[in-house]
Amino acid sequence: MKDPSRIYRWLLLVASVVTIAYLVGAAVRENYLAQWQSVQNEYRNILREKATDGRGRELLAKFRVEMKQASIPALGTVDRCVTCHNGIDDPRMSDVPQPHRAHPGHILDQHPVDRFGCTVCHHGQGAAMTFNEAKAEDVFWDYPLLPPELTEATCVTCHDAEKLPPDQIPLLTAGMKLYQEKSCGSCHKLGGRGGTLGPALDNEGAKTKHQLIMTNLKPPHTTWNWQNAHFRDPGGVVPDSLMRNPTVTRPEAAALTAYMLSQWKRDVPESYLAPDKIEQKYRALHPTPLTGEQVFGQYCTACHGNGTYTRWDKKFNRFIPAIRGVSLISTATREYFQSNIEQGRPGTQMPAWGPHAGGLLPEEISGVIEYLRSGAAAAPATAVLTLHGDSTRGHTLFLRNCAGCHGMNGRGGIAPEIGNPVFQQSATDDFIARTIRNGRVATAMPAFQRPDAPALSDQDLADVLTYLRTLAEQRGQKARAQNPTPATPSRGKP
Amino acid sequence: MAESATREFIHNLYDLPRTLKESCFRLGKEPQSEREESQATFHNLFLHIHSVRVHVRTLKPTLTFGLGLMATASFVITIITGVLLMVYYKPSTDLAYQSIKDIHFTVSTGRFIRNIHRWSAQLMVLVVLLHMARVFFTASYKKPREFNWLVGLGLLVITLALSFTGYLLPWDQLAYWAITIGSNIANSPREFTDAIHITKFFDPGGLQKRLLLGANYVGQDALIRFYVLHVFVLPLALVTLLGVHFWRIRKDGGLAKPEDPPGGLAEWGGERRPVFQPLATKTYGLMALVKGKRPPVNRGPENTVMSWPHLFWAELSIFMVTVATTLILSYYYDAPLKELANAAVPENPAKAPWYFLGLQELVSYSAFMGGMLIPIIVLVGLALIPFLDRRPGGEGTWFGTSRERPVFWQSLLFACAVTVGMLAFTVNYGWLRSWFPNIHQLWIIAINPGSLLVLIFAAWSLFILKRNDSVRLSAVALFTCFLVSFTLLTYFATVHRGPNWHFYWWPSQWPVH
Repeated sequence: MKDPSRIYRWLLLVASVVTIAYLVGAAVRENYLAQWQSVQNEYRNILREKATDGRGRELLAKFRVEMKQASIPALGTVDRCVTCHNGIDDPRMSDVPQPHRAHPGHILDQHPVDRFGCTVCHHGQGAAMTFNEAKAEDVFWDYPLLPPELTEATCVTCHDAEKLPPDQIPLLTAGMKLYQEKSCGSCHKLGGRGGTLGPALDNEGAKTKHQLIMTNLKPPHTTWNWQNAHFRDPGGVVPDSLMRNPTVTRPEAAALTAYMLSQWKRDVPESYLAPDKIEQKYRALHPTPLTGEQVFGQYCTACHGNGTYTRWDKKFNRFIPAIRGVSLISTATREYFQSNIEQGRPGTQMPAWGPHAGGLLPEEISGVIEYLRSGAAAAPATAVLTLHGDSTRGHTLFLRNCAGCHGMNGRGGIAPEIGNPVFQQSATDDFIARTIRNGRVATAMPAFQRPDAPALSDQDLADVLTYLRTLAEQRGQKARAQNPTPATPSRGKP
Repeated sequence: MAESATREFIHNLYDLPRTLKESCFRLGKEPQSEREESQATFHNLFLHIHSVRVHVRTLKPTLTFGLGLMATASFVITIITGVLLMVYYKPSTDLAYQSIKDIHFTVSTGRFIRNIHRWSAQLMVLVVLLHMARVFFTASYKKPREFNWLVGLGLLVITLALSFTGYLLPWDQLAYWAITIGSNIANSPREFTDAIHITKFFDPGGLQKRLLLGANYVGQDALIRFYVLHVFVLPLALVTLLGVHFWRIRKDGGLAKPEDPPGGLAEWGGERRPVFQPLATKTYGLMALVKGKRPPVNRGPENTVMSWPHLFWAELSIFMVTVATTLILSYYYDAPLKELANAAVPENPAKAPWYFLGLQELVSYSAFMGGMLIPIIVLVGLALIPFLDRRPGGEGTWFGTSRERPVFWQSLLFACAVTVGMLAFTVNYGWLRSWFPNIHQLWIIAINPGSLLVLIFAAWSLFILKRNDSVRLSAVALFTCFLVSFTLLTYFATVHRGPNWHFYWWPSQWPVH
């Protein structure tokens, strides 16, 4: 009779052999074939070669092949990088191949591994025991190992970037400057200050690759590759992005990338903060107001350019007004500027910039209003003053453009009497030229020279000005005829 | 005297291994006769749940494929590895992920043990489902085993719950979003109560979700609940029900088997031997008290064999096969562990564990229908099978009654065609909401691909009932349809559903995000 359990006994034999084989295999793999073990054996050989003095021999004798880690509860990290980077704080190891080499520079003097670990600066998966998993670019880990040149981005976790020597953080220094030059704050908030068209960037460095659209990015899909590519062509990386191309060079893109990676509101214990970092926090609470020109440069120019021209924006599908342009400056009141800046212009892309919105201080808003209102008036008046005026032509122009309100020969009508000797004496040529050009706010006096449709050219202005000055002389002649006190014209030009 | 006491002492010391062994095993030695083999079985706490003799059909590998044993074995493996993992695991949202990382990277054999735990848990779910299919297709739920079918269903639910609660514990992105999806399925009655505007007064969905999570979101409260369920409540419930399950197998007469021809010959091992006939006047010892008709003692009926050693060889081998399978899987494939859970970075697609993906596919049509009503219908339907199909016949034989095989194949093809057709239609043409954007949600709850599948399968089953005039065949038709659509929906949602639950042929075509 056939044994009914025969097949099961064979099955049991095979399954048991397989079980034992895989158990042994797993044990061998874990205990004898681990990457870090061969690395440490290599390192032991290096130690042996370098054990020339007493200290070297002591280090060799103390060396054990074992898992090593820097456990920093205060930072919430356990970094096992030192399991393979055994020579990281041994200055003798500057000439050996990686991973045994000593840390370059003198950083570890002030940042000992047992107090700081590794990943607080370098990122990567500190808990890992193999290089691929520690580098963590292709495994499930939020913050893979930073490329060496971008590691400076993490210095600002504990330091104020403005107080660190710029040669130690070249990319960050350049990036900070570029951020202001390119007027990124026009659309992005940083530290509570900036526009609202783009996302706030305060925690940009904390973003993981899953928070960024990688579809149009060539691998590797790291956050820094994304940032870099995005700075060079925002629309190419994020389709339909509203962001203007900041037109940066490759090194500039790298600098901005480092600056973005440094934006990470990471909580570290206060004992880790450099004093300048604490000062930086204090400064952020008590900011020094920027000048109007600085505010304009950092928060306005991305959309408004230099503010003297109007342009059509294809992405916004509307005109962006010349906020320093003659027509606006001359028509808009200070209150108008103030409310537009503080509250924004609903229905347009112009955000609010008041202290609770864009984060500008009241002083800064006043400053930028002064800057806007002074700007258009200042520059071109000199151009008028250097021209030779023709009073005959000026007379014709005056009759055509001015006499309707100011009266024939400037005698006054619904508008003031231009020929008035007191006015003629007190008003400088510059004031008159600017007034004609820009108009006068809150009066009926319009601007006669606008970038979009100039009614009077600079030469016209000079002609009119020369003619106006003759009015005083005419008056003077009349006056002298009745009263022998001479009137001196302020202008010595013909 | 002193000398003899010394000698006795030395003699006892010398005999220690033997006496120790004898004291451990009540029989005290290798069983030599069938009588002692019986004693080996019923004098052992762990073995005495078995009868001392089993029908030879029980040992036929193709009757059960050892599926029930495999499920038990993988449960034992998860218990052992689970206890080891508990030593290192910390059920706190701040520590859980790091503790899994430590288990993965530095705990001795931690990665391997976690892999084993994971794979044996997956295997357990799979094998439990297959075991249910086996029991159904061999008609082993029929009288007197109706109750054990119900117990089995309970075990299925507990198994799924165990696996699901374990899913959250690593506190990684996979866990977090799978549980978020799962708890939203629990919340799905809201779709119905919202549609008829009674959520304010009657909100079973919200209640279920809050009971499950202890909050309105997946957080520390959810983690500790899942942990307690996973390591204590559910295993205890499972062990208890498992005890009942085994006890009822034994009391209901062992594995279901066809009636031996009375007084005739039974084929066994190529020989035909006379079948044991119980005498009406004889009591067959304690063993005769069980419900089955013939577990006789002291005389070997020709169609049974001794449990010791045959049955135990079989059980041990199945156990070891399960162990070997999980070890092989664990050696080559690491249990997944994604990034730390982050509520701000949703996984897209966020998928539930694979065994719930079929449900998730239905939920994508209607949360209430797919997440609540259809599972209830399926569970109630499965529970009713042994009470609606009461005509004996076919027990212990694959497709044992006449026309079962053709009906099985017809139903298989029918269900494949209907499910694939329904999915293809939905993918290509959308559903009610795409055609009538303002339609009332109640229409979608009532009429969606999921409810239509249920209706079509029910109609098919009724058609088979009428055509073949057999409740069993109609049950076969319905059960086959359920299995096929479960498999296809699970496959479809696993492979062909990508970000935003859109259709993709392959995951490689998913947009990188």
